[in-house]
Amino acid sequence: MEAKEIVRKFSDVKTLPHVAIKVTKLAGDEQTTMHDFEEVIKLDPVLVTRLLRLVNSPYFGLVQKVESISKAVVFCGIKQLRNLVAVEALRNLFKGDDERFSREKLWLHSATVAILADMIAKRVFGMAGDDAFLAGIIHDIGLVAEDQVLPEELRQAADEMRQGKASLIDSERSRIGADHGEVGALLAREWKLPSEVLKAIKHHHDSDKNFAIPSIPAIIVLADFMAFKMQYNPVPGVPVPSLPPALARHVKDMMANYKIIVRDLPAEMEKAKELYRPHE
Amino acid sequence: MNEFGFEEIFAELIDDDRPWQLFLEALAAMVPGSSLLLLGADGSRQQQGEAIALDDDQATRLRCQAARGEVVAWPQGEGWLYVLVVPQLEATLYWRLPGERDLSGEPALLAFIRHGVAYALGEEKRREEAAQEEQYRHQIEVLKQQHGELIEDNYRQYRINQQQQEEYARNLESEIARQTAELREANARLEESSRLKSEFLANMSHELRTPMNAITGFAELLAETPLNPEQQEYCHTIRQAAASLLALINDILDLAKIEAGKLDLETAPFELEELLTSVTSMFTLAARDKGVEIAVRRDGELPPVLRGDSHRLRQVLVNLLGNAVKFTERGTVELEVVGRPRKDCLDSGGDQVNLYFAVHDNGIGIPAHRLEAIFEKFTQADGSTTRRFGGTGLGLAICRQLVELMGGQIAASSREGKGSTFSFEIALERENSAKQQPQAIAAAVADPAAGSDARRVLLVEDNQVNQRLATLMLAKQGCEVTVAADGLEALEQLAAQSFDLVFMDIQMPRLDGLAATRRIRELEADPAARASHAALAQRATPLPVVGLTAHARREDEEACYAAGMNGFLSKPIGKDKLLAMLEQFAGG
Repeated sequence: MEAKEIVRKFSDVKTLPHVAIKVTKLAGDEQTTMHDFEEVIKLDPVLVTRLLRLVNSPYFGLVQKVESISKAVVFCGIKQLRNLVAVEALRNLFKGDDERFSREKLWLHSATVAILADMIAKRVFGMAGDDAFLAGIIHDIGLVAEDQVLPEELRQAADEMRQGKASLIDSERSRIGADHGEVGALLAREWKLPSEVLKAIKHHHDSDKNFAIPSIPAIIVLADFMAFKMQYNPVPGVPVPSLPPALARHVKDMMANYKIIVRDLPAEMEKAKELYRPHE
Repeated sequence: MNEFGFEEIFAELIDDDRPWQLFLEALAAMVPGSSLLLLGADGSRQQQGEAIALDDDQATRLRCQAARGEVVAWPQGEGWLYVLVVPQLEATLYWRLPGERDLSGEPALLAFIRHGVAYALGEEKRREEAAQEEQYRHQIEVLKQQHGELIEDNYRQYRINQQQQEEYARNLESEIARQTAELREANARLEESSRLKSEFLANMSHELRTPMNAITGFAELLAETPLNPEQQEYCHTIRQAAASLLALINDILDLAKIEAGKLDLETAPFELEELLTSVTSMFTLAARDKGVEIAVRRDGELPPVLRGDSHRLRQVLVNLLGNAVKFTERGTVELEVVGRPRKDCLDSGGDQVNLYFAVHDNGIGIPAHRLEAIFEKFTQADGSTTRRFGGTGLGLAICRQLVELMGGQIAASSREGKGSTFSFEIALERENSAKQQPQAIAAAVADPAAGSDARRVLLVEDNQVNQRLATLMLAKQGCEVTVAADGLEALEQLAAQSFDLVFMDIQMPRLDGLAATRRIRELEADPAARASHAALAQRATPLPVVGLTAHARREDEEACYAAGMNGFLSKPIGKDKLLAMLEQFAGG
């Protein structure tokens, strides 16, 4: 099945809530004012409650308690709130757990990649981590779509990878007809995500692509690699392909930096727990 | 997740000799040009800088010496090789330093070597610290940048809000301006329509006056014919009804004029005493019949002669006094006049005096809540009053407007059942010049028999009823009347015979009164033409012409004089007015 078809069928059943799509679109528009942003979020009272809980969680470490969306926008900014909206919207899509493929483990993996990507962007490169975080949390959305539309084929692909017969991407292509990078990129385009984020989703398994360092796609490949190594993996126990050479060089040069990031990750994950832990 | 440390994640990137490498790099950086060699117990080796020529035996021997804890020196090329064991790396360090002699006995060199080794061993840790510091710096930079963006976004939102507010204020302003303009326009339209209504009313009143002229005139004539008592009573009723109808028409006309802004006050000298007398005498008879006494109380300085519109002042006083008499069953009606000199005007030479007028009665009074309303048009103290006392409800409205025109304010106070007081105060000019005696308005009524010499009168009038009426009235006064139906006929008559006086209607077909009069004055100015007109030829003075019109407006009167007329009578023409004109222009 073609990626387009998968996206169409997936969108028929499940997709991001209307408000979330509107929010991601607004966040990408230079002309958007805080007020516009606020007005859209207010349309979804449940979302407002959840966002406020996240904004007041240790992840943001705000001194003041934020009690309204207008205040949340003022304190966190448009992009951070966009990420929280995306987290809330995606969380519901990552549900379901079985031996061969687990959306719940994938959710934990995505959260780890998002937090690592944010840390790498900020700490190593001194750049804002908002887009890196978004790319991280959403980079494997293609797998969810495939699981929704062709669950058995996806499981077969995962089995093949587990048995070391082929990479996940190759198995997906032969079993399903598309890989989750392609599918995820199409969804991202539909949701009007930033082009760098889209690129990161599409190519996060392309080891022969030489991404500029720093860039969102490069950061996602590196964060994805690290998360895999840490066994935050929907298909546990699979061999992890090596880092592309340019990234390997970069890590070697900045070894002390990555040592610190690995050291600090558990604390960051703990602070961000409210973001990814499943709702009761 | 703690079980997956850095080494597990990046195992394939980590070189085993990395610690030795770091150690040697750090030492080499301390003494540029020095050479270094590390030999492990297992035979592994790593070197930095120029190769050190050392065979295995020498190396082993030096290592064993150094194992005692000393720094062992060994000459090598142009320098010395210093050897010591580095237990942290489980290796022996061979460090060649330049120099001519063995310095291993020098405490300074030994201290340098020991400290250098300790420093180099800390290289890994230092790099991590530097990286940590750099990460903090980056994080702070990102935070700063994000805060900058937040502040910018917030400011942008603030500006937008402000602009929206300004925009809103602007819209509000223009909306108010628009509505104000609309209201103004609507108001102007209302005023215009009110003015048109008043004009219509004024015109209607004039139309009404023409037939009224005939009714009152003929009733007057009828009363002078021999009548039996029953006929006399009928005739009296007709005259009374006509008189009240005429009063009503006059009231409406006045009010219409005032509201159309067409009523101008005249300023002429008049005698105050005469005014008071004539006003009170109008009601003396009626009052006496009811058992009501009319008194005049004068107070303060009252100049004998004043300048002002005596006609309008009289109208106000007549109205107030009439009301007082009407609503008082018995008792006293008092007209109070108080003169108050205006000191403030003495300097300006405008020598003015304030006159306070009040009419007190002890009649039925007016309920307090109606006191304001009685000055409204068509309003009386209560609806039943109209049935009991008659009247139109226009009188007080006119009084108020007239007093306001004269610069005063009319006020009413009353106690129900006890009586009412109507008062106002106006400023009038004092007339000091003695020679400017007021004109005698009411001429002595002429004895009909006095003018036995028949006066020849030309009556120019197109309306047949009015022709008859005026002819009869003039004939009664012993005049010889010739009638002309319009201006042209009048000119023919003037050519044919002589006259003492011409009564000239203004509105006529073919040649109207004004044009005819102008023509007469032209003829008089031309000797040849004069000679050919019998009426003009023998006269030493211009032929007197008196205008007749149903329009009582001042501009009509002015138009008459402008056309060359000598006098002016507004219809309905009463016997008294006619007589006065006869006396004045065709003196008996």
